Amino acid sequence: MRTFSSLVGRVVETESGRGFGRCRDLRARLGRGNPMVEALVVGRRGLLEHFGIGGSQQHRRDAVPWEAVVRIDGNRIVVRDGTEVE
Amino acid sequence: MKIFQVALGILAAIGGFVDIGDLVFNVSAGATFGYQLLWVVVIGVVGIIVYSEMCGRVAAISGKAVFDAVRERLGFKVGLMALVSAQVVNLMTLTAEIGGVAICLQLLSGLPYRSLIVIAGIAIAIVVWVTSFDWIERIFGYGGLCLLVFAVAAVKLDPIWSQVGHGFVPGMQTQNPTLYAYFVIGLLGAALTPYEVYFYSSGGVEEQWGPKDLGLNKANAMIGYGLGGFLSLALMIVGGSLFLVKGIEPEFLGSIALGAEVPLGQIGLLLAIVGILFAVSGAAIDTLFSGAYNLAQFLGWEWGRYRAQTGAPRFTVTWLVLLVLALGAVMTGVDPVQLTEFAVIFSAVALPLTYIPILLVANDRSYMREYVNGRLANTLGLIYLLVIVVVALAAVPLLVLTNVGQG
Amino acid sequence: MSDSIDLGLRVVDRQLLDSEERRCGKVDDLALEGGPGEALEVIAILSGPDVWRARAGLVGRLAAWVGRGGRIRIPWKDVAEIDVNVRLSKRAQDLGLGHGDDRLRPFIAKIPDADR
Repeated sequence: MRTFSSLVGRVVETESGRGFGRCRDLRARLGRGNPMVEALVVGRRGLLEHFGIGGSQQHRRDAVPWEAVVRIDGNRIVVRDGTEVE
Repeated sequence: MKIFQVALGILAAIGGFVDIGDLVFNVSAGATFGYQLLWVVVIGVVGIIVYSEMCGRVAAISGKAVFDAVRERLGFKVGLMALVSAQVVNLMTLTAEIGGVAICLQLLSGLPYRSLIVIAGIAIAIVVWVTSFDWIERIFGYGGLCLLVFAVAAVKLDPIWSQVGHGFVPGMQTQNPTLYAYFVIGLLGAALTPYEVYFYSSGGVEEQWGPKDLGLNKANAMIGYGLGGFLSLALMIVGGSLFLVKGIEPEFLGSIALGAEVPLGQIGLLLAIVGILFAVSGAAIDTLFSGAYNLAQFLGWEWGRYRAQTGAPRFTVTWLVLLVLALGAVMTGVDPVQLTEFAVIFSAVALPLTYIPILLVANDRSYMREYVNGRLANTLGLIYLLVIVVVALAAVPLLVLTNVGQG
Repeated sequence: MSDSIDLGLRVVDRQLLDSEERRCGKVDDLALEGGPGEALEVIAILSGPDVWRARAGLVGRLAAWVGRGGRIRIPWKDVAEIDVNVRLSKRAQDLGLGHGDDRLRPFIAKIPDADR
């Protein structure tokens, strides 16, 4: 079973090794049904936001879209080459 | 109603601010350095006012107390470490306070110490079990006001007031700067004791404060802790006027009470002991509840004195267990006054972990809406964050270097 | 009506309140369904000492042992609202929460004046 805690903390990097820092949080869209995860919040900026500093409404450039994830292995989350933080 | 609500602040202040830690450190500081450390008390008072006002505001707007915030902002892992350290320090403090209660009862009754420990424990348990939250506040808050006898004593001892005035200006005239620094840390640690804040913030939630109580929160914080600060200053002045001059080391609570007897006679002694008894008992209850509040808040259990015992069974069992553990610890014969020094120093070390989450929450608009920290609260909040971190880092080294304040 | 929230900041480690405003635990973890290349959705809240194992390494396992680990799974459909707390649409008993308190209550109640 996948859990939130099993994803958060993993290093996020592209297939060719470009790193984005660690996954600090998961951003999800709330709607009618279950929340859908739309992005991984990464890196240092993501950490500050995690503590609630720096305006909760403005989402800074600190997230990698979930569609970019190609696989999860070892203690990494691997995303497609060319992914940008948004 | 309002007057009684001021009692919450007074209890937290008298019970927390003038507890055994403050009695020991303030009188000792006076006995060692005269009036030179009065300025530290002022810094400590402003600090605790800033910290508790924030906690009270968080409690009023979000219905959350300190350890809810600790868990939410630090996460489970770091939060758990904060919890464990808080609980260990809390238990040390509780042990010292209960020991202090037993000492006071012994001074009043002459009965053997060990029996009085048990009597004190049972009395506390019964009072907490049967008495409502607001009556607990009133009894111990107003009883603790007997400590005002020390203010009278301070004046009666006729100090050189210009020297007292100099004490409010930071400065050091001593051959022993390390010991001076130790007392600075100790006085700040005694003023900024964490359990007062746990109790105050949880009390705000217990009393179901809302936005309309923010003024009350400010008044409680300022009047309650201000009064506590005033008493601490009085204790230090008595220390400097009487003990320093006579070369007495106030190692015992009884010696501290002498501070009121010398200028005011038997009535002074009686009021001092009664005041200490109520203040230290109130502190014991605050500390006891804080231990239960922290655990319940961290784990999400139902909590609160207002829920009655059956409404919050695990919370109730927690404080009963803590009381038994503390009684056991006092029974081992540990000296409450000595234990207090360690408790105060270790509280200071653990303080940043519980201060930082509150500062973060107080700035979070999704929590606090329009009641987030304003510029003044944040300026002071950040200054004190720096103070707290410096104190936390310096505490243990100074404890070791001065051999627990022996110089 | 689509809102984005950061789960760790706004949901995980928050207080659970049941439909009667009773405190009944914390959100200790979230159960997810899906994976790379497909949608990832949050399907349930996990709560209980057993869930702590995954959160804090060795200390978490110790805490789980002390707490005599149980775990409760609350399907997301039972979440009514998320504000500073996570509010559920059912009573704690119906969801299997608050068990610790329920078990101790009869013993506490035997002591006189336990409902003061």
